[in-house]
Amino acid sequence: MALNLRQKQTECIIRLLNLNQPLNPAGTANEEVYKILIYDRFCQNILSPLIHVKDLRKHGVTLYFLIDKDRKPVADVPAVYFVQPTQSNLHRIAADAARSLYDSFHLNFSSSIPRPLLEDLASSTLNSDSIHRISKVHDQYLEFVTLEDGLFSLANKSCYYQLNDPSAGDREIEEIIEKIVSGLFCVLATLAVVPIIRCPRGGPAEMVASLLDQRLRDHLLAKNNLFSEGGSFSTSFQRPALCLFDRNFELSVAIQHDFRYRPLVHDVLGLRLNRLSVQGEKGGMKSYELDRLDPFWVANGLLEFPEVAVEIETQLNKYKKDVDEVNRRTGGSGGAEFEGTDLIGNTKHLMNAVNSLPELTERKQVIDKHTNIATVLLGEIKERSLDSYAKKENDMMIRGGIDRGELLGVLKGKGTKMDKLRFAIMYLISTESLPQSEVDMVETALRESEVDIGAFQYVKKIKALNVSLASANSASRSNIVDWAEKLYGQSISAVTAGVKNLLSSDHQLALSRTVEALMEGKPNPEIESYLVFDPRAPKSSSGSSSSHLKGPFKEAIVFMVGGGNYVEYGSMQELAHRQQPVKHIIYGTTEILTGGEFVEQLALLGQKMGLGGTVAAPAP
Amino acid sequence: MVSSSGASSCRDRTLEFRSLSETLKKIGGATAASNGPQSDQAATSYRSEFNKRASCIGLSIHETSLKIARLANLAKRSSIFDDPLKEIQELSALINSDISTLNLAVSDLQTLKNLETADGIHSEDRVVHSTAVFDDLNRKLMGTAKEFHDVLNTRTENIKAHEQRKQIFSTNMSRQNPLRQHVKTVTEPPPWSSSSNSSESLQPSESSGSGVQSSQLRRRLAPDNSPSHHMEVSMLQQVVPRQESYSQSRAFALQNVESTISELGGIFTHLATMVAQQGELAIRIDDNMEESLANVEGARSALLRHLNQISSNRSLLIKIFAILIFFLIVFIFFLA
Repeated sequence: MALNLRQKQTECIIRLLNLNQPLNPAGTANEEVYKILIYDRFCQNILSPLIHVKDLRKHGVTLYFLIDKDRKPVADVPAVYFVQPTQSNLHRIAADAARSLYDSFHLNFSSSIPRPLLEDLASSTLNSDSIHRISKVHDQYLEFVTLEDGLFSLANKSCYYQLNDPSAGDREIEEIIEKIVSGLFCVLATLAVVPIIRCPRGGPAEMVASLLDQRLRDHLLAKNNLFSEGGSFSTSFQRPALCLFDRNFELSVAIQHDFRYRPLVHDVLGLRLNRLSVQGEKGGMKSYELDRLDPFWVANGLLEFPEVAVEIETQLNKYKKDVDEVNRRTGGSGGAEFEGTDLIGNTKHLMNAVNSLPELTERKQVIDKHTNIATVLLGEIKERSLDSYAKKENDMMIRGGIDRGELLGVLKGKGTKMDKLRFAIMYLISTESLPQSEVDMVETALRESEVDIGAFQYVKKIKALNVSLASANSASRSNIVDWAEKLYGQSISAVTAGVKNLLSSDHQLALSRTVEALMEGKPNPEIESYLVFDPRAPKSSSGSSSSHLKGPFKEAIVFMVGGGNYVEYGSMQELAHRQQPVKHIIYGTTEILTGGEFVEQLALLGQKMGLGGTVAAPAP
Repeated sequence: MVSSSGASSCRDRTLEFRSLSETLKKIGGATAASNGPQSDQAATSYRSEFNKRASCIGLSIHETSLKIARLANLAKRSSIFDDPLKEIQELSALINSDISTLNLAVSDLQTLKNLETADGIHSEDRVVHSTAVFDDLNRKLMGTAKEFHDVLNTRTENIKAHEQRKQIFSTNMSRQNPLRQHVKTVTEPPPWSSSSNSSESLQPSESSGSGVQSSQLRRRLAPDNSPSHHMEVSMLQQVVPRQESYSQSRAFALQNVESTISELGGIFTHLATMVAQQGELAIRIDDNMEESLANVEGARSALLRHLNQISSNRSLLIKIFAILIFFLIVFIFFLA
């Protein structure tokens, strides 16, 4: 059973659109019903990557509106509401019912509506005497945004900032954890699995894990729960593992400049909800959609940028060849020949050519789209010399340090302020021993370039407090080379650097290593201290972790509290495909952040702690 | 407390809601206004004329597509010896009449929609809704007609294949019996013409033309048979097969031309539908956001301009006011 979150969520939404009646694919005996769809902003973000207007029309939706918009009455048509259960939404629904805008109201809430709000709704509609209009109320458990088959986000803004805020009280932190847990509960309900939860000790991940475990236990005790189908999942081989991590586990991935296609497009051009706006070639903004229906995006998302350019080139040449072929077949042999067989052959060629036209135009459109994106990207890369940033940061992570002159050169060179700040923070994270003089030098260089160093100082403080940051480079060296360097010191440092590069050419993230270890289930010192929660097991045995719970897992759901990005998603996918047999990993996070956005949150934290640069902080 | 369907991930809170409303009603003690819904009922039963018709049409379109699927099955199953000719003819005639009635019904619906819109009692949202419903029904009908067309095409191809195989088997016999060949060519056209629709109406006329030609040839040859000279008879008998084979090849070539023309017609309709379909771009739900944002920006700039105008007017007013005061002072000065 492959976990395909996007497909499951789409099925739930289609069922919602069919007024929650069981779908009857073998021909509907009941009449076709035309309905109106109303949603709020959060649910609009959920719906727009999943369903296009064409699909909506196929399922009988004629109009779709935001709930805040001023709507006119359309009598004798049912309305389907898909909203979050908040006070303002309910007021609006009650007002609509009072005005009798539609014939019947089918209410679907993206998560469970709490009892007091339901009572509110009942009383207000009773007062306005329109309660007979509300025909159905459903809890849909769909409060998350799925971008691809295995990528989801809870769209909780500024989660990392709120969790690490020094001035946050217990209650606020509990609220945030509550929100995260309800989002994760929705994901698990949609997938209809009860996973085995694993998380490192301490930090937000443990809090989320224990609360989620509690929530699942309570839910499973109720008679008709959402996970009761599917029989007993006794062996751990059937159940997936839910691995929870905190952002502080590996800070470098969120900040690093990456040079692959997907992270570049997300970071530099601002890909939001699978949609992208770039400057077109002839001026004017063009808006593109990049999702699983785009074959080029799917195939080449994880290639480095120069290879992507080469790939576009090859596709273009292939397309031109095909077009010439079609032209030759139809144009050249159009002479007046009256032999019977030849004429039939001609029309067959013509038929084939005409049938292949839509496919050819589609290919051309895809090629044009990616050429445009690549051109804009190339401009940005040249201007900010992002390729050198990416390469140098990668070297820093592998080698564990950087040459002083090189560091200063980069800080004084090309690139936006955010780029330089990110580079400086990467330097902080990757270097093991930080001589104070170098750090001061870096700070002065940053101040000269008018960069706000709040974030930099915050990371310095964290490192000083010895929170475990990126352990990525610890395994990327081999012992022999370490010993050689100790013995011969600086003289062969250049040689060893080259050798290290060869040995650790595949710079694996700490996250991939840990997830691999967790999924394999073999005893591993790294993950020994990780906690295990099993919501299905009775409470008494939760203390002793039985061996089968740590067993090999075929599927995993990896969740990062505090923010994630496409780099992590890409490495998760690579990990899944690398295994023999192929495993499935779904990656989720509280929100998908670019490097710049994450550093802004760090800067806010720095401000809160009283550190900060002379320049005004960037707006959140 | 709540019931949930077997394999779904949603919870039905309707019963809970209903029980809540009951309790609240009892607490409130207010009598539920039972005459309220009824007046609405009357209104909705009138207004849903459009909707009733639309759902009827939708249902009949669905039934017609089921019939077309059955026809396709029959056409696939037929072989040389087991040709359910009558059933296929009946079924296709039935589908034809269904499609024409649906066409009429859809155009009726359009007039009804225009009537209702011209009335002006409906909101603009309702108008958009009716238009969307109408477009959807139109599209479904077009899809059904195209399916029917495709099924008929496959059917004619099958018949052609059968006929060719029959010819291969029967050319051995026709050497000895040219008369039989004629009968065959004359009887072939009717199955084609009965299962063809308008675009293939060329065929019956053409094939009947070829049949007429061959019969004319036969009539010309017949008087030649009267001189009973042995040699002439044998020569004529030799000439007749050759002329027959010539006419036969001519007939064959003509049939090829007909089929090619019909195929070209199909290609052109195909192209036309493709060009029409290009209009339906892949729109997303949040597309209008950009539009409305642009509109809001435009409105803001217009307001700013207006403000500037007003403020400049205001400066003008102040100047005029100052001059008036100046004159007043001068006036008072003169008087005083």
